[in-house]
Amino acid sequence: MQLQSSLALIAPEIVLSLAGLALLLIAAWSRNAGRLVTILAAVALGGASVLVAPALCSGAMGPDTLAFEGQFAADAFASFAKILIFVSAIACLMVAPRFFDRDGAIRAEYPVLMLFAALGMAIMVSATDFMTLYIGLELNSLAAYVLASFMRSDDRSAEAGLKYFVLGALASGILLYGISLVYGFTGTTSFEGARAAMSGELSMGMLFGLIFVLAGLAFKIAAVPFHMWTPDVYEGAPTPVTTFFATAPKVAAVALTARVALDAFGMQMDAWRQIVIFAALASIVVGALGAIGQSNLKRLLAYSSINNVGFILIGLAAGTAAGVSAMLVYLAIYVAMSLGSFVAVLMLRNAQGEQVEGLADIAGLSSTRPLLALCLAVMMFSLAGIPPLFGFWGKFVVFWAAVEADLVALAAIGIAASVIGAFYYIKVVKVMYFDEPAGVVTGRSDWAHWLILGVTTAAMSPLGYLLTRVLGDLADRAAEALLFVA
Amino acid sequence: MTAFFQSLGMNYEWAWFVATVAGILLIALPLMLAVAMIIYVDRKVWAAIALRRGPNVVGPFGLLQSFADGLKVFLQETIIPSAANKGLFLIAPIVTFTVALLAWAVIPFGPEAVLADINIGLLYVLAISSLGVYGVVVSGWASNSKYPFFSAMRAAAQMISYEVSIGFLLVCVILWAGTSNMNGIIEAQRGHGLGIVNGFFFNPLLFPIWVMFLISALAETARAPFDLTEAESELVAGYQTEYSSMSFALFWLGEYANVLLMCALNAILFFGGWLPPLNVDLIPWFDIPGWIWLFAKIFMFFFIFSWVKATVPRFRYDQLMRLGWKVFLPLSLLFIVLVSGWLMLTRYGVAA
Amino acid sequence: MIQTLAFYLFAFLVLASGVFTILARNPVHSVLWLILAFFNAAGLMILVGAEFIAALLVIVYVGAVAVLFLFVVMMLDIDFAELRAGFVKNFPLGIAIALVLLAELILGIGAYRAGALELGVPDGSAAPLMDRSNLENLGTVLYGKYLFLFEAAGIILLVAMVGAIALTHRGRPEGARGHQDIGKQVRRRPGEATEMKKPEIGKGVEL
Repeated sequence: MQLQSSLALIAPEIVLSLAGLALLLIAAWSRNAGRLVTILAAVALGGASVLVAPALCSGAMGPDTLAFEGQFAADAFASFAKILIFVSAIACLMVAPRFFDRDGAIRAEYPVLMLFAALGMAIMVSATDFMTLYIGLELNSLAAYVLASFMRSDDRSAEAGLKYFVLGALASGILLYGISLVYGFTGTTSFEGARAAMSGELSMGMLFGLIFVLAGLAFKIAAVPFHMWTPDVYEGAPTPVTTFFATAPKVAAVALTARVALDAFGMQMDAWRQIVIFAALASIVVGALGAIGQSNLKRLLAYSSINNVGFILIGLAAGTAAGVSAMLVYLAIYVAMSLGSFVAVLMLRNAQGEQVEGLADIAGLSSTRPLLALCLAVMMFSLAGIPPLFGFWGKFVVFWAAVEADLVALAAIGIAASVIGAFYYIKVVKVMYFDEPAGVVTGRSDWAHWLILGVTTAAMSPLGYLLTRVLGDLADRAAEALLFVA
Repeated sequence: MTAFFQSLGMNYEWAWFVATVAGILLIALPLMLAVAMIIYVDRKVWAAIALRRGPNVVGPFGLLQSFADGLKVFLQETIIPSAANKGLFLIAPIVTFTVALLAWAVIPFGPEAVLADINIGLLYVLAISSLGVYGVVVSGWASNSKYPFFSAMRAAAQMISYEVSIGFLLVCVILWAGTSNMNGIIEAQRGHGLGIVNGFFFNPLLFPIWVMFLISALAETARAPFDLTEAESELVAGYQTEYSSMSFALFWLGEYANVLLMCALNAILFFGGWLPPLNVDLIPWFDIPGWIWLFAKIFMFFFIFSWVKATVPRFRYDQLMRLGWKVFLPLSLLFIVLVSGWLMLTRYGVAA
Repeated sequence: MIQTLAFYLFAFLVLASGVFTILARNPVHSVLWLILAFFNAAGLMILVGAEFIAALLVIVYVGAVAVLFLFVVMMLDIDFAELRAGFVKNFPLGIAIALVLLAELILGIGAYRAGALELGVPDGSAAPLMDRSNLENLGTVLYGKYLFLFEAAGIILLVAMVGAIALTHRGRPEGARGHQDIGKQVRRRPGEATEMKKPEIGKGVEL
């Protein structure tokens, strides 16, 4: 039966949606179930990851992975992204209860919305049809808007949510307009059909459609020139939510962009490559320069994420299997770095247990909280791409892929900009280690934070190079699955 | 009817046109008469339950009371408050009245006697009845007066709330009948109960739906005990406060036409419409024309409406909302699941 | 003949109502014009034979969405002078949006001209089934080919609802005014509510 095979392919999504519905009921009928629901949501995400894993390990690709008449693909590429998404969602669930404890217990809507956001992202990365793409994107975005303003009594959080909503709605409109143009000029919404229809010469309408679709997606991955919302939203949203925004949705949007670019628009690589190259370079430069003046750590990390998206897009610009593989490796490393650094920010609390976010507040952290300072320093050096740390490896593979695809100039500019970027990362380290202790950060942290910070720090330390083999292997399989149609 | 006019020598288009106009008049005029009489019935029933005599002066048994009232308002001056929004103030009653008549286009009075036998008959009724709220809301706003405005707010919230559950309840009926054509729904009820009773009310799954539908119908038409839009103890006369003369009469007529429509829907959806109550040919049973059965059923339901009005005290507003959103909505959703599950099990097979 | 007349009537009314939606000074009038536009659009739908879509348009947009819209607008206290002041300020933006829409129109015409591409040719599986009603056809497509998307769209609506409630709902404290426990009301007996007293003359009753 076709329906049954389709249902088997979307098993992880079914698990997530049923879990979300069940948890909603639990939350509705029992008061203060926030903690329980959080744990159960993490378990559901873990279960979904387990269901996803076989497709990645076996390198699933081709028509057997297509569900619902080609609207959905459960191939190795999607699985790679899904595992990253689910794992980072679990991490963001783990760090949340402690954060929200300060003003009453965590509300059960948080894990439920997280779960649905993860579901939306899973649908995004598996989309092989523009309608699936849009549905997944909206599911993720709607949950994200609410999560951004989840601390409704906090002005900054409400502002972040509103800003994100208005700009996100605009981006959705742009995307939808692009999709309608592509549909109008190709007569189909499936990636496969669009690819076939675009194999000839690119008409004006198709080009416009392509540009609008990429612009809409660029908003979601926060690539320049659609990055303006990022610092405000990252700063205003509750920190666990910011952690989430910096990791999972980014993975989903990048993976989705890669699939759209290489699958649907795969025959017109020259048309989109220049856009991607521009976005990559602009993101790297704006991210690096914008971060310099920031005094809020969350804002600073927001610019850092813009900067990193640039490097990720370099991998996409290469447009080869090696490029996609490098992109995925970078993505995985980036997720670990973001998780680590945001969790470290989450652990900065003053004596009253309130969050501390200012750069000045962490002055002399090395003397008051040496271990935390060390971990944060490892993260910063890793984000800067200083060689002994694992962050370097991600940049290395991406640039290598770019060079191999004859994009030497792009790689050269990228390397130069990453040197500028290193400036502010090192500034953070300098503030922590060489400035007079401000003595603000004195609060305690709980085990979940330490666990995540410890694991990510270990992964980013030179120990991480033990993973290169496995990571590279899986990324290669995923890239191969993505380019299977090509 | 078109064929009849064609036989008079008209070409098809003209015949169709004249036939349609004639059909509309054939429904609208008796409906107006029925409304006049049903107001009389309403007052009589109400009086009887309150141990009063009711209207008994004008004409034999007071039968002409409604016409006397009609004549009186017709001769009054139409007063438009100076602060009112004149255009909308005048349009509102017309909207109420027109919309109340529109829905009757798809009501079947017999196997053939229906003005528009369309596929989406029930949806059409739902769509039109959802328009009814505009007359009330616009009149309340255009009056530029406090009580009518409160009434308009209440009406908007109340009607939307109950429309939601009415929609879901109707879905259950559509599912069971397998069509949303009104005649199709009636046909589906032939011998529905053990091969003898004509009507969905005999079905254990649909009976609770009928009960909910009846109550929602009371709320949707703002009849007692849900007549909060014109709760005289709080809002003077609600949205009608500033109206006089014919504009007032139009509200009155529209309201009762809506009530009759809801009675007709009860009869058609759950009690077999123009089918005789039993699917057994008792003496001249099948020879009685369908419309007589339908009228009898409508009358029965109208009696229930009056009876409720005379005996049940008015709901408080929050109770009304609670009933709609917290009781009827979940229940109607539950019944959709039950009904469709049962139909999948018995009619379509599980794996389909 | 009648179809042509009806088409022009509906089309004209849609356009006119659209124009008046923008031109009306009073926002309530704007909403009412908008409703008229919806209504006539439903008429156009009927003309092209999509009676189910027309019914949905009326039930959902006219019957529910626009009523809530009207509800909100009626309660607003809008300062018209301020609105008009904003008009001048936002004029360049409005022009920009108008230009974008114009570009859209041109592209749309371009898409229409590019007939050689066989625009939107149905690929067999989605070909219309003429012998069945719109209702059945839509049902077959929504619950067949597009089952996955349909259900996912349902989850989107659920998320929107959960989000709206999570952001706005503030729990009412227990025992607050207006909280009704129907079971408790029904259980109450006259004996609990009243107490018989025989007051002595001139003493009164202790309450």
